[in-house]
Amino acid sequence: MKINVNTEIALTYLLSRPKQTIVASLGVMFGISMFIFMQSLMKGTNDYFEKSSFSSTPHIKLYNENIVANLHLLNSLPNDNSVKILTNPKQVQQNQGLTNPYGIINSLYKNPEIANITPQVTAQVLYTSGSVQITGTVAGVNIVEEDKMFDVKGNMQQGNFLDINRVNNGLLIGKGIADKLSLHVGDNITVRAGTGSAVIMRVVGIYATTIKQIDETKSYASLIQAQNLLGKDRSYVTDIKINLKDYNNAPKVARDIETITGYKAEDWVHANEQLKAAFKIRAIILNSVIGVILLVAGFGIYNILNMTIYEKIKEIAILKAEGFSGQAVTSIFLQQAIYIGLMGGIIGIIVGYLVTLMVSRIYIGAGTLKYLPMSFYIPHYIQAISFGILTTIAAGFFPARKASKVDPVTIIRG
Amino acid sequence: MAEIALHASNISKFFYDPVKIPVLKDISIDVNKGEFVSIVGKSGCGKSTLLYVLSTMDTDYTGELNINGTKVTGKSLNDLARIRNSSIGFVFQFHYLLPDFTCLKNVMIPALRLGKLSYKEVEEKAYEKLKMFGVEEQALKKANKLSGGQQQRVAIARALINDPAIIMGDEPTGNLDSKNTGIVFDLFQKLSKEYGQTIITVTHDEDFANKSDRIIEMTDGEVSSHGK
Ligand SMILES: Nc1ncnc2c1ncn2[C@@H]1O[C@H](COP(=O)(O)OP(=O)(O)O)[C@@H](O)[C@H]1O
Ligand SMILES: [Mg+2]
Repeated sequence: MKINVNTEIALTYLLSRPKQTIVASLGVMFGISMFIFMQSLMKGTNDYFEKSSFSSTPHIKLYNENIVANLHLLNSLPNDNSVKILTNPKQVQQNQGLTNPYGIINSLYKNPEIANITPQVTAQVLYTSGSVQITGTVAGVNIVEEDKMFDVKGNMQQGNFLDINRVNNGLLIGKGIADKLSLHVGDNITVRAGTGSAVIMRVVGIYATTIKQIDETKSYASLIQAQNLLGKDRSYVTDIKINLKDYNNAPKVARDIETITGYKAEDWVHANEQLKAAFKIRAIILNSVIGVILLVAGFGIYNILNMTIYEKIKEIAILKAEGFSGQAVTSIFLQQAIYIGLMGGIIGIIVGYLVTLMVSRIYIGAGTLKYLPMSFYIPHYIQAISFGILTTIAAGFFPARKASKVDPVTIIRG
Repeated sequence: MAEIALHASNISKFFYDPVKIPVLKDISIDVNKGEFVSIVGKSGCGKSTLLYVLSTMDTDYTGELNINGTKVTGKSLNDLARIRNSSIGFVFQFHYLLPDFTCLKNVMIPALRLGKLSYKEVEEKAYEKLKMFGVEEQALKKANKLSGGQQQRVAIARALINDPAIIMGDEPTGNLDSKNTGIVFDLFQKLSKEYGQTIITVTHDEDFANKSDRIIEMTDGEVSSHGK
């Protein structure tokens, strides 16, 4: 095999000081494997939280938002030339729900981005059992579609969720409500919506999500039940919940739907701003830690090369006297940096993968989170290697340049 | 008329230490191709300094230097490196071998750098050079495992590997015993007589100097005698 003489010298220098070479590579290895491990953990966690937020929130929610009173009606009075002024306008409660909800649903299904749509009647209610009262909401839903979108079945603790369609006045309550009012399947509960009359309902099931606040307030009934609670007719729908094929498109699709329907379409990104903020903060923490690790690894390489150059300054002078140009000397020392980086990088990728794999098998059993969520995502590995090599080159550059500037005469004269 | 291998005209050089001291004062030298020249003079008179200038390693001087008919003064560092690599062999007073490499590799490296021959050919040639100096037995030993005399002979072999037109030595036999000095002298003479290589060497060894073709004497940064 014909290898370049610069490469041969670089390799010989690395091999002639195996300890330092290994220590410097270990620095890089540590940086790279930490990078992979932390990225995998973060992406895994983010994915988990994103997924769990979708277990209760649709990608897009369409509803009739309260609007501020305007002059529209006053101005429509006939034969009136007076100037109208509205002082201190207030929000107007839009309690008529969505107009023609099933027409909207049918037209939305034409959008190829949309995967599932389901209507909902949301009622603010007061639960009463014995002498205890708590507030909450009843979501009137088509439970079969709801299950398709949010996996109601997977959250069931007791009873059968389909019973809200079969049992008259059936109600599926959260575990928090059940605990607070000490209710079991088959018990009765009094539910009163703000304006409606009290209705005695029967607990047909108890569910539990990972989100405590939901379990303590929300229960499911059939659409018709919820409409009855509110004293509304069969076409009354307060929200339409929409899931997309790709939830990343939610903000864009939501804007389209808003323009088409004229109702407020809230996408999950807006509804979960605190989740997004948490992602961002985690990313900042992670990047700082990785930055520091790579910096330390870079310093390791910088250090060993500087030391080599200090020790070998006479040899560098000789090489130059023999006719090695500045570029050739740069190449010799930069190559040493690159080989250290490559070696550390490759081992780092393997170690990073193994650590990620091992940690993903650690049982933590917090709520529905049984194992640490780790993702195995190829781009992380490519990023890791690129960062590693970039750091190495940056760290090797300055010592290499210093070596290339060695003046043979000064050194040889002594 | 003989061909000129090295032509230096009006070379001057100063050191600033911290006051300006002249080390080389308006030196002009011509050396013919195939000539074996010794430079002698008291310690500190500027012999090494002159040799570094002539070898193109030191570019901080005034005057003009021509090697094999080409002006090298003012050339870029890269060009000078190439010229040194192909046309000049330098032997220092101390061997300056690379201790991490075998003797054979040490001799091979300038030829690998030059890149004219295949690895195999370079290896054979390096082995031949070692043989000329009787150190072929040491070929595969690390350079720092040899005795001083052996190291210096390897260093001379290294200077010869690219068949340079000019071989320069700064007291190359200074650390050798008389037997080894004899070997080196005979070899230098053979190179100049049979292969037409030019030899310029600083020496303190009167015998050595007297046997060479010409003696250039230096005194206080000036050439006091050009020999014949
Ligand atoms: N880097 C330097 N700075 C200042 N003066 C120097 C330096 N190197 C050598 N000198 C001086 O230059 C003169 C010539 O040195 P040198 O060429 O080594 O002499 P030689 O080889 O003939 O013994 C000496 O007086 C020496 O002290
Ligand atoms: Mg000297």
